[in-house]
Amino acid sequence: MRKQNKKNIKRAHKKITKGTILLYIFLVAMTLVFAMPMVFTILSSFKTKVEIFAKPFALPDTVQFSNYIEAWKGANMSQYFLNSLIQAGSTVIVLALVSTLAAYALSRFRFKGNKFLTVFFMLGMMVPIHTVLVPVSYLIGALNLKNNIAALVLIYVAFNLPFSIMVISNYMRGVSISLEEAALIDGASYFQIYRHVMLPLSMPAIATVSIFNFLGAWNNILFPLLFINDKKLKPIALGLLNFNGERGSEYGILMAAIVITVAVPLVLYLLFQEKVEGGLAAGAVKE
Amino acid sequence: MNTVKNHKMRRTVILFLLPAFVIYTLFQIIPLIAAVYFSVVEWNGIGGAALDFVGIQNYINAFKNPQFILSLKNMAKMVVFSVLFHTPIALLLATAINTKCKGYRAFKALFFVPTVFPLTAVGLMWYFVFMPTGSFNALLDKIGLANMVTPWLVNPDTAMNTIVFVNIWAGIGYYMVILLAGLTMIPEELYEAAAIDGASKVKCFFQITIPMLKPTLSMCILMDIIGSVKVFDLVFAMTQGGPNGLTNLPTTLMYNEAFKYGHYGMGSAIGIIILVICLLGTMISNKVMSRQEKEAA
Repeated sequence: MRKQNKKNIKRAHKKITKGTILLYIFLVAMTLVFAMPMVFTILSSFKTKVEIFAKPFALPDTVQFSNYIEAWKGANMSQYFLNSLIQAGSTVIVLALVSTLAAYALSRFRFKGNKFLTVFFMLGMMVPIHTVLVPVSYLIGALNLKNNIAALVLIYVAFNLPFSIMVISNYMRGVSISLEEAALIDGASYFQIYRHVMLPLSMPAIATVSIFNFLGAWNNILFPLLFINDKKLKPIALGLLNFNGERGSEYGILMAAIVITVAVPLVLYLLFQEKVEGGLAAGAVKE
Repeated sequence: MNTVKNHKMRRTVILFLLPAFVIYTLFQIIPLIAAVYFSVVEWNGIGGAALDFVGIQNYINAFKNPQFILSLKNMAKMVVFSVLFHTPIALLLATAINTKCKGYRAFKALFFVPTVFPLTAVGLMWYFVFMPTGSFNALLDKIGLANMVTPWLVNPDTAMNTIVFVNIWAGIGYYMVILLAGLTMIPEELYEAAAIDGASKVKCFFQITIPMLKPTLSMCILMDIIGSVKVFDLVFAMTQGGPNGLTNLPTTLMYNEAFKYGHYGMGSAIGIIILVICLLGTMISNKVMSRQEKEAA
């Protein structure tokens, strides 16, 4: 006990050393570099165009939300926002269902071809999107799927399946087998075990994967760029680019549109900070 | 493990796997195989139009195309500078945050948050900082460096470097979080023992932290190499490969060739070259890492 106290006192004394000062100088300098563009964007989103150029670093004279209102209504951001919610949301749901089913089969059943299929599903992680762009666009053309949201969602599902199956099946391998055995003795079918045992027990892994899949779909522009050209269907990241192309000189409104676009990932991260960071590190270690 | 014994059980397993298998095969595996095929034919982009077999002509054309060579040089620049800055800065930040100093959570969130944003939004944010009348030039003007004012993304001397800078900015948080996870795995006793021996903090950093983090560090670098090869959204948002294709990477050049100019064969060939570069990166990385593991054992 006394030893502990001594240690604490020593630590307290150590607090304001040269090292601590250097530490904070470094952190504050990096903070400036990191915060600068974000603060500039937020500040500008509340300013008039004249103000943005006259006083780029000052606080807005009066906080006015007209840029947000114009971006949300006039620049179609509300539509894009809703489109992205629907597209990313459906991707997450379909992926959770499809990948847990496959992960359960791969992690809990011994059958011929299990190893092969496990490797087969991992292959996709090595494939850069650009490699398959031309064939995917050919496929979309041949199957007449232009502006088809279901096709877009299925493509997202296909490209996020490897990561999802990997994380969820690794998690399922760690779930105790005794519950499953008890359910089998009680006469449960394998589907019932999946539905009532494995699915609820794998929730932490499913949640981690779902956040990543949501962000992936929310942030993607390449696939919608290929075959979603209907303004009523475009996702927000692409809609933002189009807005920049069409009305790029209306800076205040554009800044508000940028803030609207990043708001959802930002809130998701702030709500699930541990999950996002933990999942990232886990995914990285396994890759 | 449930051993699949009878017909009924086999059917159950197949049903479990079927949805994933179908979606994945249709939209990933078949396009991957088709990508190789499309790279050896000439095709005008219209479904049902004739596909002429041209062998490796698309690849030869790609390497004869000065635009492609330039994009490879830009890619090399992107990879080299990302690797030089991402991991070292991320390591310093992770070490600083790992001291659990006051406000470390806020610092961590700030440095990490750009990695969850859409890169198009990040690109646009920086576009308005670096445009001719943007805030960076205004800042330079204000602090008396008016002679440095330039249209950063238009000037051929600065355009690519500016994009490389933004890519570095946008990625540091990602590697910081991975390294932070690695730092927490280092046993505290090592530092305590070193402190008793009178080792300084700096010495501890070089003698304990870096050696213990070696596997994580090399993994970061290798992920960074592949990640930098795949950069697309940032360039697409900031310059679209311009001015005059000077900031094209293989990814943006591939997109422009195929979908802007209708050179699908050339586009596919570049797509396959990108795949080969990524596979080579992974293979070399695996080799290096397994050698390291052997040395550690």
